Amino acid sequence: MSNLNSIQYFIPELFLTAAILALIIVDLFLKRKQKSIIAYLSAAASLVAGFLAYQQFSLPATSIFQGMLVLDSFAIFFKILAAFSTVIVVFISLDKFRETAEYFILLLIVTLGMFIMPAVNDILMIIIAMEIVGLISYVLAGIHKTDLKSTEAALKYMIYGAVSTGIMAFGFSLIYGLTGHTNLYDIQMTLASGHVNSVAMFIAFMMVLAGLGYKIAMVPFHFWVPDVYEGAPTPVTAFLSVGPKAAGFALFIRFLVTIVAHPSSGAADTFVQNVDIQAPFLIAVLAVLTMTLGNFSALNQKNIKRMLGYSAIAHVGYMVMALVVFNKDAFGAIMFYMIVYLFMNFGAFWILESLSSKLGGEDIEHYKGLGYRDSFTAVSMAVFMFSLTGLPPLAGFIGKVYLFAAVIKQGWLILALLGVLNSVVSLFYYVSVVKAMFLKQDDELAPIQTSLYHKIMVLILVVPTLVLGVYWSPVIEFTTNSIGLFFGR
Amino acid sequence: MIQTALFIWLLPLAAFTIQILFGKRLPRKGDWVSITAIGISFVLAISLLIQALTHYDPEFVVTASIPWIDLGSFKINMGIYLDNLAIIMLMVVTTVSFLVHVYSLGYMKGETYYNRFYAYLSLFSFSMLGLILWDNLFGIYIMWELVGICSYLLIGFYFEKDSAANAGKKAFITNRVGDFGFLIGLLIVFTSLGTFNLSEINLGVSQGMLSGGLLTAAGILLFAGAIGKSAQFPLHVWLPDAMEGPTPVSALIHAATMVAAGVYLMARLSFMLSFDAMLVVAYVGGFTALFSATIAITQNDIKRVLAYSTISQLGYMIMAIGVGAYTAGFFHLVTHAMFKAGLFLASGSVIHAVHHSMDKIGEHGDPNDMRNMGGFKSKMPITYLVFLIFSLALSGIPFFSGFLSKDAILGGSLAFALAQHNPIHFLLPVFGFLAAAITAFYMFRLIIMTFYGEPKKPKLFEHIHESPKTMTIPLLTLAFLSLFFVYTIPSINPTTGEGGWFYHLIEKPVSAVSTQLGHAVYQMTEHAEHLAHVSGLMISIVLALAGILLAFAFYFWKKIDVEALTEKIKPLYLLSLNKYYIDEIYNATVIRGLLIWNDFLSWFDGAVIDGLVNSTAWIVRNFSVLDGLFDTYVVDGLVNGVGSAVSAFGKSLRKVQTGQIQNYVLGAVLGTAIIIILTMI
Repeated sequence: MSNLNSIQYFIPELFLTAAILALIIVDLFLKRKQKSIIAYLSAAASLVAGFLAYQQFSLPATSIFQGMLVLDSFAIFFKILAAFSTVIVVFISLDKFRETAEYFILLLIVTLGMFIMPAVNDILMIIIAMEIVGLISYVLAGIHKTDLKSTEAALKYMIYGAVSTGIMAFGFSLIYGLTGHTNLYDIQMTLASGHVNSVAMFIAFMMVLAGLGYKIAMVPFHFWVPDVYEGAPTPVTAFLSVGPKAAGFALFIRFLVTIVAHPSSGAADTFVQNVDIQAPFLIAVLAVLTMTLGNFSALNQKNIKRMLGYSAIAHVGYMVMALVVFNKDAFGAIMFYMIVYLFMNFGAFWILESLSSKLGGEDIEHYKGLGYRDSFTAVSMAVFMFSLTGLPPLAGFIGKVYLFAAVIKQGWLILALLGVLNSVVSLFYYVSVVKAMFLKQDDELAPIQTSLYHKIMVLILVVPTLVLGVYWSPVIEFTTNSIGLFFGR
Repeated sequence: MIQTALFIWLLPLAAFTIQILFGKRLPRKGDWVSITAIGISFVLAISLLIQALTHYDPEFVVTASIPWIDLGSFKINMGIYLDNLAIIMLMVVTTVSFLVHVYSLGYMKGETYYNRFYAYLSLFSFSMLGLILWDNLFGIYIMWELVGICSYLLIGFYFEKDSAANAGKKAFITNRVGDFGFLIGLLIVFTSLGTFNLSEINLGVSQGMLSGGLLTAAGILLFAGAIGKSAQFPLHVWLPDAMEGPTPVSALIHAATMVAAGVYLMARLSFMLSFDAMLVVAYVGGFTALFSATIAITQNDIKRVLAYSTISQLGYMIMAIGVGAYTAGFFHLVTHAMFKAGLFLASGSVIHAVHHSMDKIGEHGDPNDMRNMGGFKSKMPITYLVFLIFSLALSGIPFFSGFLSKDAILGGSLAFALAQHNPIHFLLPVFGFLAAAITAFYMFRLIIMTFYGEPKKPKLFEHIHESPKTMTIPLLTLAFLSLFFVYTIPSINPTTGEGGWFYHLIEKPVSAVSTQLGHAVYQMTEHAEHLAHVSGLMISIVLALAGILLAFAFYFWKKIDVEALTEKIKPLYLLSLNKYYIDEIYNATVIRGLLIWNDFLSWFDGAVIDGLVNSTAWIVRNFSVLDGLFDTYVVDGLVNGVGSAVSAFGKSLRKVQTGQIQNYVLGAVLGTAIIIILTMI
């Protein structure tokens, strides 16, 4: 589709861009005390953008801007998810960044990147989208300029990101050299015709994997995660562990199903491999490595934020595990898990963010006896922990059921078994938080008073975690309807 | 309509949530929350009934469902099945529940756990309405258990009293026995048909996917649930004890609605009952009807008489379903709900009066004991009047609702017997007619002992007074609903309800059981019903009047010396007074048996297992040195080894995380390279 015609399909992104520019200007005229207006406006902007994206749901799948981007239900799903996670993060950050208006504007820019990432259809767009998200993320991680840990995290993040993206760009250049195309669909067609050297293609694929793996924090490209997650301000950590990761997964899935495999017989249900490599097996090994490393490193962590950082790696492992089977079940399971993960992970991070100052720190030690000091928050935290472990009847359990079911259905029994064993390991460190909160009564500590805002936020996040564990059909229906991948120029 | 039904169902749940969380802090302890909720449900139920009446179509059905659990091939939908049966049942439950809510304003006033009482009532209403509305057996089972829990909570409402706490437990445990049957039946249905949905079960059964012995088994096992909930022999023992609960609860749960849930379930499932299953149902019902009527004769506790009467009437309904007199059975459920709830509430009014009077004169006694009453007619005119109306309805006297429905059941059972070749089935109408006569007898025995004659305790009598308006108005409403024309409109024939709206709306469903026998029986009884109607009518009027006359002869005119007669038939009297010693038999067999088994296990544990352990102990001791070494070095080594290996692995993994960015980058690059090399080899 020509550029001019494409604009009508680009409304959510255009709206976001306009909002960002408008907010930058508005920010100039606001006094210090009024800066929180920017926060509310940016939440509203991302909500509207999400709604605009939802409006596109009924449009026929097509490619826009001469094949640079696509518009399909799969992309729209991740756009809505991105917008939604931004809204929640704005409210999580509201207290800490009340006077830092540029923080919220930066969040909106990342959101714009996350809108483009799942919709890419061209190698160039992949790099552009990833750089939008990446560069702003570095800034967000180091937003506390005077905090040494924060700036260190930002620097490490940036160097690591630069190297990974560099490797990926190198991989892309190889792919371009091998096929002569930058459009993903054209590359797919060329690969399917079988005139490409498979060894060279495999090396290129591995190099691209480095970039994608870095974005979703997959082993062995996860090294940045613990340091950045610990060093960055908690709301940023929460954001990085959900938003950009979801967009990264969308990109990963799109890359896999167009470059590595293509839909057999036109339907996006099952896929045949283009390239003669052991991609499923390779991904399986990486998935097991990712979850094992994440879980085992999270054991014995004293700092809950760092523990959640490692456990985030483990959750990536579970989701990558489902990627092993290229089919609708697996993609649906990952999308569903993303929704579930959004609620439970944001919930845990929100409690961490809002209580740490009151408890004196983020260590498990500080959470001792919380059950007797603020039972509502403690019970909610326990719900999030159990849900992250994947215990029924909570949302995390249902999410894992779908992930494992997708893998087991295709006969990857050992992989599923390793996944389940990993879940058992994760129980240990999640429960240690619950244990500290409830089994160690400390009478000397006074009850904690929490604000109504805190309670409402917890409720907003804990209710879906509970409800999705019992009644999830509409959500799974929505995700299943959203797996409409467009293939074409 | 579906939305209306949803509101009817969910409003009490909302009330429950509010009550249980904030009830204590609300003004008036929040009783108005529950009453408003059930009141709105009541009004909405009326609107549904009006809609059903305007449709005036026996086949009327509205359904709606949404997917609930979706795990590949295992799918359960959540849905509502709204037909005339459900609408009328909704009407019955909301009416009785609303009136009981209002009545409790007066009766429960000043109770410590007043708000909790209303919370439980709301939860019960929600569960009972859900049981009626769900379109699949799985949902019905959930609600079935929920009403059981509410029943348990409310029976044990005065939990400080041991007898009440025990009665609650007894009710719950006895019900579990039946519920296991229900569960197994449910699983049989699901494994053979792959669905819980009622319409799909109907389809599956009519296609013969579940047939023969398995279908009969499923029918009987599902009926086992009804035996428990509707207190049929041999699981009837819990209901009389359940009278430990507050009287409004007895009226709502243990007379009008929950105990009728078993009948409702059988009515819903009557399409899938095979002929053999129907016979079982009919005989259990018929026998229970007669059996518990004979117990009611000798009881002195006013509520226990009514409890046994309830069991007996439920037996009638169950028998009606069993002999295929579907409409009659459900009709009796409705009329019975009204007059039996009324009877309980009226007896509550009496008990309330006696209780207060006892408080005033400082006497401690059993306010339920009829032997302390007598002559209350003059002091409590309204209670007396409604009591008389309810009793006449229950006894099956023309011009009252009970006559229409009971007579239809008796006619149905007679028709069934006439249509069968085996004369043994005449037992069923015989059970029914005998029970009808006895019913009239014990009800008038109760009335005479309570309201007529001289006061047994004059001092107590002095302080008896009529109950407050919140209690008498529900009574009068229920009395009105026990008159015949409520159910026969537009016809005003007092002998049969067949021209009325009720008979028009409720039509016997076509049996899905494909065997010719089952279907033929269905057809024949319908035809024979008309033949048997007149003779059944005559016999039942004569027997009811005879029962009433006999009661007057015994207790009012004292023509026959009760004491002497009792002495003469002492064994029989004792048998009835002690409820045929069923409780004792259960104690001696099931409970003792379990205890003996328990003792045996404990002995086995103590003597055999411990003995073995002890005797092997010295052998072990000899090896223990070796073993100890083994344990320390090998086993502990292994266990600790695994533990420390995991821990060490974790630690070493963390060591990789040096904090040095150059190491990280190296890791990523090396990782890529290693993967490439490894996969290429």
